[in-house]
Amino acid sequence: MRVFIRRICISLTAVISAFALTSCSAVISDTNNSDNSITDTVANPSDDEAHASVHSAVDFNHKLDSYTPKKNHYNFYFTYKTVHPWWDAVALGMEDAQRQYLDKGIKITYEYMAPPSASASDQTKKLLDAKNKDYDVIGVDVADEDIISPLLDSLVEDGTKIMTFSSSDAAPGCKRIAYVGNTHNYEDGADLTEALCKKLDYKGKVAILVGSFGAPCHEDRARGAKDTIAKYPDMEIVATEYDMDSVVLAYQLTLDILAKHPDLDGIICCNMSNPVGAARAITEQGSHAVIVGMDHDQEALHYLKDGVIYCLGVQDCYSIGFDTIQIAVKIADGNMPGELFKEKTDEITTVIYQEDAATMLALLYGDD
Amino acid sequence: MRIWITRKTIILTAIIGGILLLAMVTFNTFVSSRQVIKATDDAVSEVSSFYLEAMADRRAKTVTSLIEHNFVQMEKAVGFINEQGITNNNELRDTLGNIKSLLSLDRFALVDVDNVVHTQYTTYTGGSRHPFLSSDVMDDKCVSTVSLYGSSKLLCLAAPTPNLRIVGKQYKASFVQIDIKEIVDLLAFDDEGRTYFGIYSKSGENLSDTELGPYISKHNLFDMLKDVIPEGEWNLNHENFSNAVKGSITFTANGVAETLCYVPVDNTDWMMVVLIRESVIHDRIRSISEESQTLSYRQIAFTLIFSVIFFLTLIFMFKDLSIKDLEAEKENTRTFQSMANTDSLTGIRNKHAYSDAEASLNQMIRDNTLTKLAIVVCDINGLKHVNDTLGHAAGDKLIRDASEMICRHFTHGAVYRIGGDEFAVILQEKGYDTMMDVIKDFNREVENNITRDEVVVSLGYSTLTPSDQLVHDVFKRADQMMYERKQQLKSMGATTRSDSTS
Repeated sequence: MRVFIRRICISLTAVISAFALTSCSAVISDTNNSDNSITDTVANPSDDEAHASVHSAVDFNHKLDSYTPKKNHYNFYFTYKTVHPWWDAVALGMEDAQRQYLDKGIKITYEYMAPPSASASDQTKKLLDAKNKDYDVIGVDVADEDIISPLLDSLVEDGTKIMTFSSSDAAPGCKRIAYVGNTHNYEDGADLTEALCKKLDYKGKVAILVGSFGAPCHEDRARGAKDTIAKYPDMEIVATEYDMDSVVLAYQLTLDILAKHPDLDGIICCNMSNPVGAARAITEQGSHAVIVGMDHDQEALHYLKDGVIYCLGVQDCYSIGFDTIQIAVKIADGNMPGELFKEKTDEITTVIYQEDAATMLALLYGDD
Repeated sequence: MRIWITRKTIILTAIIGGILLLAMVTFNTFVSSRQVIKATDDAVSEVSSFYLEAMADRRAKTVTSLIEHNFVQMEKAVGFINEQGITNNNELRDTLGNIKSLLSLDRFALVDVDNVVHTQYTTYTGGSRHPFLSSDVMDDKCVSTVSLYGSSKLLCLAAPTPNLRIVGKQYKASFVQIDIKEIVDLLAFDDEGRTYFGIYSKSGENLSDTELGPYISKHNLFDMLKDVIPEGEWNLNHENFSNAVKGSITFTANGVAETLCYVPVDNTDWMMVVLIRESVIHDRIRSISEESQTLSYRQIAFTLIFSVIFFLTLIFMFKDLSIKDLEAEKENTRTFQSMANTDSLTGIRNKHAYSDAEASLNQMIRDNTLTKLAIVVCDINGLKHVNDTLGHAAGDKLIRDASEMICRHFTHGAVYRIGGDEFAVILQEKGYDTMMDVIKDFNREVENNITRDEVVVSLGYSTLTPSDQLVHDVFKRADQMMYERKQQLKSMGATTRSDSTS
């Protein structure tokens, strides 16, 4: 009788434990899914779903929505942080939208300009020049929110239709009309860092490669990374460096960090260039530091495939570009955020791991 | 015995020789048939390779022509822009739009010295987007392959524009970008679905997004070939690819033989690859080869059947001939034996036959198995007299008459001519039992013949007695009795040997 009762108890305990674990996972999954459009392929339960997630990380099949433009010719000006493949990917989405409007008989012309390296002063100059030309809308990827946001406010006050796009919005409270792009840079930085901490078993020395000074997206990610590290007492940030979105500089900075901290356990990379520079350096030095970083650089994806980089947060640049043009047309027609478009059009970031690298390479570059 | 062995040896030799001959003919026919098929296959492969190479060459030349044509058009476009006297960015865009319709350059663009790209609809900073802009100065034309985000692959043709200034700005280059898929559509001529082709990078990457047959499909060429061709061949072809050297590869994947040819595309870093799997020509020729093979197999089967029948017939005939030979030989033997035992004048058994019979009877006497035996000895009276007076022909006739008379009476005995005028009759069984009556009749006729001057034969006889050890013992008594009878017949008027002598 006693044995029977013991068995019943054990069985009940097992059932209750399983139920509790399932509920717990569901909560984690829900948290991830609701976390500002960030998806994590590891959080998904099956391989098929993981691959589906990789395939939906970038949407190349856009169609214009049902909005009917009021004019048959729009002329825009866009300025972004720096000449870089990430914005070239955005440009392809913009060109897709431009072609689709042309098919409808609506001509979209625009300038899409950036300096060779991120510069708030260059952006200021470009915006002031553009102000004097007859553009329907000026789009800005904010190089430095402290410097550019007031300028944008003044342009709006002067009657210029200003929108922000791609990676960096203006400072909160800026009068720009709308933003299309990544609205969760802080969370991207936090999520990548959380993945790194878990990989390192929540202890070790890490470095942060931020990107460009003042660039909101880079700074936000770095902030998310620092706040996450702060949660774990055994984790330590030994260096924080600005690589100015340059692969070469990121490489050199990583070499310097490794020289000072040969026992470095991890590197958090906040833009598209620095995972490549960091990966080159740790491969060269034979370091075992774990790299987490951003975006879809082909070389970075190969490092991910080879296991040098642990995970990458891939943004849907194509959709950012496509939606930017669509919303620019609506803004040019005098529409304001509301039913036609959101004040902040969110675009997704998908965190991918080694097992997803080949699929992503094939998807983005036809590289198998 | 020696003759029999020789014959057997000949037959065996004929059979073994025949089988060997047959085997050789069959083997030679089979080998010839296989060689013909192999030679046909080789020829087909060569023709296929040649055919494929020609196709690949044609397509590669089309791409080269396309590139050359585009460069010519780009040069014309730059000349056209220079002539327009453009004063602002909008005019430049309009002019670029006109070039599209005038010169069929869809994606024509200009790049200024700041790496700002000017197209019909957009102006953008392109330093990171276009690899040919990586160097500050552009000296010569540049053909490059561009993999775009989103997996599109483009052919980029760029040419320096040292003499182009627009609104005081120096321009670095003009360029067009052509989607490789569009080039593939242009190349899909006269194909009729029999072959596959694709444009590849020198590392074997498929640039045209076209399927190169079901096995290689759109994958990296050399990744897929690794499992189906030997390592040495793989290395050689990989090297050829890297060095833009044309070549061909035949491999079998999923049980299907496939041949591909690759040729470099001039002025690019591409290789044009054409693949054929069991082409119509190959199928047809293979079908002919198979028909030929079937025919050969039928011929072999027919030859085999015919040869087997032929050899069986031959063996049967040999055997039949041997039996006939054997029988003829036996007959000859019998004839010779008969001739040896027969008296040529009378046709009855001769002295030799009598000796054989005597030997046989002597054995029976020794074995004590003979109970009834009588020997009758006959002698012709007056033979010499007839020979001397009437000639040998008359003498011979007398002998034949005497023989005939003796045989006529002793129908149940064996009559032998044992001398010139002497006969012996061996009587056994019935002949023995009726002997006395026969002798009586015989003597009566003889005595009658004396008066008719016809054949007179003296006869003596004797039977086997227990004391006789040989036939000759019986013969001697009969012979004695015959002499006595001769005297008696002489007294009765018959002619005797002594008469003729006298």
